[in-house]
Amino acid sequence: MRDLVRQAGVLLALAALPAIAQAVRYHDRVSWRAPAVAKDEVTLEQTRGWGDRVMWVDARPDEQYAQRHVPNALSLNEDRWGELLPQTLEAWAPDKRVIVYCSSQSCAASHEVARRLREEAGLENVYVLHGGWETWLEAQR
Amino acid sequence: MKLNAKALFVGLILSVLPAVHAQLAWEKTEIDLHPKLGDKEAVATFKYENKGDKPIKIKSVRSSCGCTVASLKKDEVAPGEKGEVVATFSIGGRTGLQQKSVAVETDDPKEPALNLLLRVAIPAEVEMQPAFVYWKTGEAPKPKTITIKPGEGIKLTKVDVTSSSPEFTTKVDKGSAAGEFVITVEPKDTSKLVSSTLTIKPDYPKTLYAIARVTPPAEQSVN
Repeated sequence: MRDLVRQAGVLLALAALPAIAQAVRYHDRVSWRAPAVAKDEVTLEQTRGWGDRVMWVDARPDEQYAQRHVPNALSLNEDRWGELLPQTLEAWAPDKRVIVYCSSQSCAASHEVARRLREEAGLENVYVLHGGWETWLEAQR
Repeated sequence: MKLNAKALFVGLILSVLPAVHAQLAWEKTEIDLHPKLGDKEAVATFKYENKGDKPIKIKSVRSSCGCTVASLKKDEVAPGEKGEVVATFSIGGRTGLQQKSVAVETDDPKEPALNLLLRVAIPAEVEMQPAFVYWKTGEAPKPKTITIKPGEGIKLTKVDVTSSSPEFTTKVDKGSAAGEFVITVEPKDTSKLVSSTLTIKPDYPKTLYAIARVTPPAEQSVN
């Protein structure tokens, strides 16, 4: 009986080897946990505490912005960056916090737009909405 | 401890099963693209072949970004059949190195999901830094500068600037690096809220826009 248990243990260990190898090899392709709030992100709850000192920027494509957007949000996507940037800069004020969002948690456009606002326009207090448009939409229900 | 040879053999077979290759074999799952200056889009073609003995159905191809459209001519792949997923990346106003993925879902039990990756190195045309200069109301109207830098392989000899408002003056000088220009912007008065769009025209077919503003003072500090 003891031998049987030992053999079963060895077999289980052998079967686990490829799984461990794949986990090591493809660790960056697997979502191991719920996405955490990144350093440049803010949650919807945090933005509510900022009252009207918030400027919303929609990084989604034109057609999605046209369908529906956060009230008073300005459209600024990378498809038409050069054309849309001036209106964002015209609306900005030093006491505003800029919150950029795109379509979901996996969407990278909001991070890219936020980075360019910081680096190319020199704006401070630029954040990305954690969870993006879907989170905002969910909160409206 | 004596191991039963048959049991060990079965164990080894079981242990390698997850690593057995999928039926759908991809020529490449990562592609690097190098569009030329002025290109509007970059196209990556991911080729595959069904190396198995059963037909495979490609259930979906979805890109990670609205800027990339992934298309598929056929979603049923017969054994031995070849095909391709074409990912078209729209450059728009994007700059630098862009990395996008296309998620492929199939009914292949050995590899039901796969990510195809495209990396697009967009060449810099003419760069402007920063795109925005501002003064708070009441701040000393000291001049601020905007630098215009040509990308690799572009030669600039001249830059013209016009301000949409007479409340700002502009001056263009050559910068310290070859082909670089420095625009000096100065408000006449910072006691009132004014704004101007600066239209910047280098001798290259691209017009740049920067904003100069006198903004309201911050009502409350932002922490």
